[in-house]
Amino acid sequence: MATEAVGSAGIAVGGSAAASRWRRRRALNVWGWRVFLTLVGLMLFGPLVILVLFSFNDSNILTFPLEGFTTKWYSEALTDPVLRTALANSFQVAFVVAPLCLVLGTLAAFGLTRFRFRGRGVIGGLVGAPLVLPWLIIGIAALMGYARADIDLSLKTVVATQTVCTFPLVTAIVAAQLFRFQKVQEEAAIDLGCSRLQVLRHIILPHIGPALAAAGIFAFAWSFNNYEISAFTLGFQQTFPVWVYSNVRNPDHTAIVNAISALISAAQVVLIWFALKLMRLRSGDQATTEMIAGTEAVAATART
Amino acid sequence: MAALQESLGIGVDDKAGRGRRGPRRPGGARGAFGILFAPVTLLIVLFLVPFLIMVQMSVVRFPPRVDSGYTLDHYVEVLTNPLNPHIAWTTFTIATTAMIVMLLVALPLAYFMVFKARKWELFLLLALVLADELAPVVKVYAWQVILGRNGIMNWLIPGPPVEWLLYSSFAVILTLSTTYITYTTIPIYAAMKAIEPATFEAATDLGAGWWQQARKILIPLAAPGIFVAMILVYIPMLTDFVTSDIVGGTGSYMMGQRVRDLILGQGDWGAGSALNFLLLAMSVLLSLGAYRLARLNRIES
Repeated sequence: MATEAVGSAGIAVGGSAAASRWRRRRALNVWGWRVFLTLVGLMLFGPLVILVLFSFNDSNILTFPLEGFTTKWYSEALTDPVLRTALANSFQVAFVVAPLCLVLGTLAAFGLTRFRFRGRGVIGGLVGAPLVLPWLIIGIAALMGYARADIDLSLKTVVATQTVCTFPLVTAIVAAQLFRFQKVQEEAAIDLGCSRLQVLRHIILPHIGPALAAAGIFAFAWSFNNYEISAFTLGFQQTFPVWVYSNVRNPDHTAIVNAISALISAAQVVLIWFALKLMRLRSGDQATTEMIAGTEAVAATART
Repeated sequence: MAALQESLGIGVDDKAGRGRRGPRRPGGARGAFGILFAPVTLLIVLFLVPFLIMVQMSVVRFPPRVDSGYTLDHYVEVLTNPLNPHIAWTTFTIATTAMIVMLLVALPLAYFMVFKARKWELFLLLALVLADELAPVVKVYAWQVILGRNGIMNWLIPGPPVEWLLYSSFAVILTLSTTYITYTTIPIYAAMKAIEPATFEAATDLGAGWWQQARKILIPLAAPGIFVAMILVYIPMLTDFVTSDIVGGTGSYMMGQRVRDLILGQGDWGAGSALNFLLLAMSVLLSLGAYRLARLNRIES
């Protein structure tokens, strides 16, 4: 705003030559940003667009330009028995992990935000640790832990380790939301004669509901997409990321990998966008930006 | 960032908190115990104990047999094996190059989001998060499609196919940069959010050019965010093995791959857990550094 004011002042003083120079620089500026943002967009989403394009390509070889249009890779992918089992395993794991994480994560968020006690910092650090330490390191430790305890690796061990590494994400999202609305509101409701349950139903849930839904979707996505922990804590079964991993250098499966990756990514784009909108719906733009800036910064390093 | 740390209970000064959050509840500890019992117990059993077992494995003579006597041989082996410094150096150069690329993108991107984007600010932020939440394995695989011998890049570039685009350090650096750009951008964005836009207006009025403004205002004021971003992104990059497995070549063999191969490939639990422990120690030190920086930043503001 002020820059524009300075600019127009410049026009008034400097005459038309300065004005056109200023306008040219401004146009250059705008175009510079546009080019930059397009490049960033290509970096982030270009690969996925290409993946979708190739999944409709009528050839099993990754050659550009594309040859013809086909949907046969999708039907082949969805009828491949090994892939179907892997997908089913991933869904099974994520459908167990996400609700578990919601319960544990919310409990931890309440404990850490609504109470003050000795050792709170230590427990906060313990809850935050799985978000900061790389999954490779955690996966190896888990593998050794299970071996030492004589527990056979299976989908159950995947669920167990994924749950303890993912619920802190829910804690981070829910705690950020709990922190925003003051405990005073709960206490006021109690003073006005609300029961504990009524407080939960009428005060707390409406406040953290959207954050919970969003956190649930994120936890589901984390679990479904996780490769590192699954790779170390999985028995003979495969999950979807593990299947993709073992097929990326297999030329016979290129087209199927493309098709199923495109399909899963598209579904996730829709789901995650919906989760983000949910966060925004209740919290408002300002709160959402703050929440993401806070949560993501710490959630940052969990993925290796 | 600060709000999250506060809400997670990291580094919150009780005295400072008391004024704002009301008096300490007498029954606080008991209520907290009931609520935190399940999550904390699970974290101890499934997260903390495995790490202790891993440390034990790294000092046992013939892991996983714990009755075979204790030794520090595995650490000596890891530190003296000539292969390891070489791999560490490769990992460090790849991670550092990727970091430079990401900073070159993240700094202008964060600046744009905070000061120029206006109604697009939230959209850009959400797009960054969205890009990050998609399956990492699939995202890395997509680069294989682009950079391959017959891929789009080679179709766009005239002449014979460029071989070093894929299965090379170049591919690993490019893919790592796109994987972690969200985490690099967001702490920087959060730090820039705290800068008063009027500062730049004042600088413009006083005749400072964009370079001077960037060097004398933007970067110094965003420095804590930049350092936090660097540390938080270095930690996972130094242990990344997915990227290098899928798009890397023999010249880009990284530390994460080394640890994975020691444990799953060669079954050498002694050296594997020793190396893993060293990586863990490094990660913990780096994250404590990031935490201190973030806290310092909070006290200053």
